Amino acid sequence: MEESEPIINSHALTRDFKDTRAVDSLDVSIQAGELFGLVGPDGAGKTTTLRLFAGLLKITDGSATIAGFDLKSQPESIKARIGYMAQQFSLYAELSVLENLKFFAEIYDVDTRVLDERTGRLLNFAGLTEFKDRRAAHLSGGMQKKLALACTLIHQPPILLLDEPTTGVDPISRREFWNILSDLHGGGTTIIVSTPYMDEADRCSRVGLMYEGKMVICAPPQDIRAQIKGEVIEILPVGWQAAHELIQDMPGVLEVQTYGEALHVLVDSAEKRMPEIEQGLDAHGIQYHGIRLATVRMEEAFISLISQMEH
Amino acid sequence: MSYRHIWAVTRKEVLHIFRDRMTFILVLITPTMILLLMAYALTVNLEHIPIAVLDYDRSYTSRSFIQQIVAGNELDLYAQVDSLGEVEDLLLRGEIKAAVVIHPAFASDLLALRGMPLQVIIDGTEPDSGGFAVEQIALRAEQIISAILTRQVQALGISIDTVQPVDLRVRTWYNPSLEPKNDLIPGLISLVLGFPALSVALTLAHEREHGTLEQLLATPISRIEILLGKMIPYIVVGLFNVVMIPILAMLWFRIPFNGNFVLFFFLSVIFLFAMVSMGIIIGVFMRTQAAALALSFLLIFFPAFFMTGIFFPIESMPEIVRLEALGLPGTHYAIITRGIFLTGVGLDILWPYAAMLFGLGLAFTGVAALFFRKRLA
Repeated sequence: MEESEPIINSHALTRDFKDTRAVDSLDVSIQAGELFGLVGPDGAGKTTTLRLFAGLLKITDGSATIAGFDLKSQPESIKARIGYMAQQFSLYAELSVLENLKFFAEIYDVDTRVLDERTGRLLNFAGLTEFKDRRAAHLSGGMQKKLALACTLIHQPPILLLDEPTTGVDPISRREFWNILSDLHGGGTTIIVSTPYMDEADRCSRVGLMYEGKMVICAPPQDIRAQIKGEVIEILPVGWQAAHELIQDMPGVLEVQTYGEALHVLVDSAEKRMPEIEQGLDAHGIQYHGIRLATVRMEEAFISLISQMEH
Repeated sequence: MSYRHIWAVTRKEVLHIFRDRMTFILVLITPTMILLLMAYALTVNLEHIPIAVLDYDRSYTSRSFIQQIVAGNELDLYAQVDSLGEVEDLLLRGEIKAAVVIHPAFASDLLALRGMPLQVIIDGTEPDSGGFAVEQIALRAEQIISAILTRQVQALGISIDTVQPVDLRVRTWYNPSLEPKNDLIPGLISLVLGFPALSVALTLAHEREHGTLEQLLATPISRIEILLGKMIPYIVVGLFNVVMIPILAMLWFRIPFNGNFVLFFFLSVIFLFAMVSMGIIIGVFMRTQAAALALSFLLIFFPAFFMTGIFFPIESMPEIVRLEALGLPGTHYAIITRGIFLTGVGLDILWPYAAMLFGLGLAFTGVAALFFRKRLA
């Protein structure tokens, strides 16, 4: 990656609410064109971080520049260059799809000569053309999210700040939404997106893991997965409770997670532990359909990192 | 300031008013409806008030006096009693609102032109009907006295022309029939036009509650553009009531409209500006619609009811309240509406009130803009 001035750059960015420090000395620099995923447990400070970047909250301490403007002194210049999408659905329910788009076009001073062409293109892009006269209140959850995204794109901002844009949306709409994000990413837009879904984090070019207001890790997804010291063994036992209890106390086992009927066991070395587990299960008369080596997923990495910090 | 931004917010808000049933009713229907209801509730004519009579005189004169008192529709003779104890009993049980006590010397004093020994007892807990009864009794007594006076003067052989009885005539200007509703309805307009102000407070709180304000604050629109864009539609739509109410007042309540309608309309625009800017202050400070609603009643409707002189004369209030009343748009507008409806005065008289309204509107809008931050917390 060539070294240029980062499009978002924060130094010791801090925000307090009454008694809590929601964002604690955040240092992050994001290059133009990145698709940056913001993950972390609820209350880690993801929403506050995005709101700070959007100029919606006053900075308690520290500083940040966004698109070359100082966040503290020039928030309105920044607002013209970002598209911000709040977590909650925040469009006008009584307005139609097209009326919502045109409203934001006027607020963002979109040239009237290109307005029709651009709304048409965005409707098409979001797959909302045939619903353009429908009231926003009567759209499905997925369509509402796509409309909200279209509204934040109306002024073609170089930076997008999206706060959990796919929460509460069905998997198909979720995939459609991410395909749109990939297109935008391909077009050079810088995207910062917070998400509770680890498969989404995996699609980002870089992931920042937040915990208690701090950025704990900030790296490409594969690097985060590689940080996990250990390997994952997947077991399909008959009745997982007994197997879970047995395995979690065995030597070399770092973490046991359940996936439906399956157990994912994080161990220091699969080569060494797999036979031990097999012997243990046999000794206790616990039957199993299969045992195999699995790849570490973002989900395991995330839970493992968070539980490390909690201990 | 970008007119395009203001227009975008205004147009969106108009669509909201017409598409959201609650807002539509609150802004367009409620003011006129409430005015109708209150006008009826507050101007019921008093009739058939039950009274008792305690006649110690039992003369021809006293009996004819009693007959005359209850001759009309206003007072009904509920009972003729023999003691004050009975009077008290009836008053306490609420069966009568007033009692007339005729003293033993009633006839003789009257005929000798020594006056009229008469006592009226009223239920002070119901001053309206009691006071009305006293008025009626006094009116009848006056008629009887003048009849007797004329007769006695003639009997004494004096020419009526040489006697100069006091000729007292009360002449009421502007509301000659002293109809309470003539005075009340123009005053009530200032009260019911509080509803557009309430709506604007609610709409801003609504945006905050539903997150649409967060989205709006993340755009480069300026604070004053948001506020003006929100205020303008409620002023304009509120004017529907400004047109409806005089029509209703004239055709339905037969209230005179002596002034210039165009002047009334334009001064109402200024009044609505002042009221709506009061509403926007509430919207700026309150986080939820419930809180905005509660504060609107406290700051808009409650003072409009008690402090603007619609029902209670401002002159009778303590100085501190009178000063406070000056800061309420309704105080000035009540003078304007009564002036235009009843007196028919023009801008030469009303300009100071119009100027006060405009000044209040500017001040309120300024305060709202000052405290409205383009941030969330």
